[in-house]
Amino acid sequence: MSLQYGETLFEHFRRPRNYGALVAPDVAYEDVNPLCGDRIRMELRVDASQTITAVRFRGDSCIISRAAASILTELIQGCTLQQVADLPKERLLTALGTEVRPARLKCALLPLHVLQTGIAAAHTSHDPQPFHPC
Amino acid sequence: MSPMRAFFQQLEQLRPLNQRVTLATLVNTQGMSPRKEGAKMWVAEGGQLLGSVTIGGCVDAQVIEQSEDVLTRQTPCLIELSLGDEEAWELGLTCAGTLEVFLEPLSADRSEPFACYAALKSHLDSGASGALLTRLDGTAAGAKLLLLDDGTRRGSLGDPVLDHESCRMAQSLLEQTISRTVSVPCAGETVRVFVDVHAPPATLIIVGAGDVAMSLVHLARTLDFRVAVVDSRPRFASRARFPEADDLLVGIPSEIVKTLPLTPCTAVILVAHDYKYDLPILRHVLSSPVHYIGMLGSRRRGEAILKLLREDGVAEESLRRVRVPIGLELGGQSVPEIALAILAEVVSVRYGGSTLPLSRQGRGCA
Repeated sequence: MSLQYGETLFEHFRRPRNYGALVAPDVAYEDVNPLCGDRIRMELRVDASQTITAVRFRGDSCIISRAAASILTELIQGCTLQQVADLPKERLLTALGTEVRPARLKCALLPLHVLQTGIAAAHTSHDPQPFHPC
Repeated sequence: MSPMRAFFQQLEQLRPLNQRVTLATLVNTQGMSPRKEGAKMWVAEGGQLLGSVTIGGCVDAQVIEQSEDVLTRQTPCLIELSLGDEEAWELGLTCAGTLEVFLEPLSADRSEPFACYAALKSHLDSGASGALLTRLDGTAAGAKLLLLDDGTRRGSLGDPVLDHESCRMAQSLLEQTISRTVSVPCAGETVRVFVDVHAPPATLIIVGAGDVAMSLVHLARTLDFRVAVVDSRPRFASRARFPEADDLLVGIPSEIVKTLPLTPCTAVILVAHDYKYDLPILRHVLSSPVHYIGMLGSRRRGEAILKLLREDGVAEESLRRVRVPIGLELGGQSVPEIALAILAEVVSVRYGGSTLPLSRQGRGCA
């Protein structure tokens, strides 16, 4: 595999941070890019003030999507759910440290989409969303 | 539908109809035979036939004739059929040989065989294996004992010592997945018992629900594989595209595969042509005893995937199990032809086939 997307991205792909699962997460959501098949699940634990205390992700996804998820989990440490809900996509794209071609933006932004949709869903339900049928 | 699957299905239909049949089972072969021990045929009242114990010709005709006698007498019997050269030629045998066929009457008022077969089928459906033991001689000829791979027994061959000793011998055959007649010492004499071993159907796990997978499922079902299709995309892994798949599993593919039984009867075929599935799934299945692992892709792509796995510490010996490019070289280019080449390789690996044309192999008696 080439390093056309930069060392940071490739390094996060090979050694993703916060990969795995949480026991009884407060927010859990999963989604898929319906054509390419990237599928990511994000899980959060928050304290009483809705501040994130733990985050995990997992899934089968491409280099960009997996690295973006890994980088995102580092970006949101200590943030509140509201801050994550308001996180602009440009913030994540900048953190990737490389320019992502327009055709691959969906890959890069899938983790953020999953997280923000999961937070929105958690606001309307007390139960974590175990699976989001497409 | 495979003969064995058809057999179980027909058996289920038989009992409510209260129809009487003779079940003929090939229990012993000497010399070369086109069918293996365990091949079955039944002859029903009214002349209906299902299955065969040879590949046809005079031998099957003799079995049919004798089966009709058994239907009339309602007692089991063991018949020996010596194949003369002429018959051997007709059957496609290269050498003359001897076949033994056990004929037994089945009817709704003799419930034990039905109960044994029903229990066996239920056990096989759960992915396990079992053996049905049939006593071939003596006054208790036809007595049955079901031995499941979890050690469960049902029925009796007519003597506790015979049951114990037969099960001990059957256990070994069960492990080797071989059906055979064994001679069991019992009370100073020898009793012949046919051990009919049934393994669960081989399972094919197909990762990636594209066009190749569609052709694979269709062919694999014909070959009696149990087929699971795995993908993360519901639009691809849909029932409309895979009406024949036994399981259609949508989610995180590597996590789904971890939930599936990976046994020596399992083949894993990666046809998503996507490293995001290939890498995590290979990491997992390479530590399992599946008999076949194949991955769609060029040699170059395969090397790239294997390199990443090697860097992750996967042993060279394990990496050699991955067949990439996948399939036998049949020369076909269409999607169904690619699927055929893949399944040809799966079947060849399963049975230890040489993949050489039979016409190019040595002739004469084995």
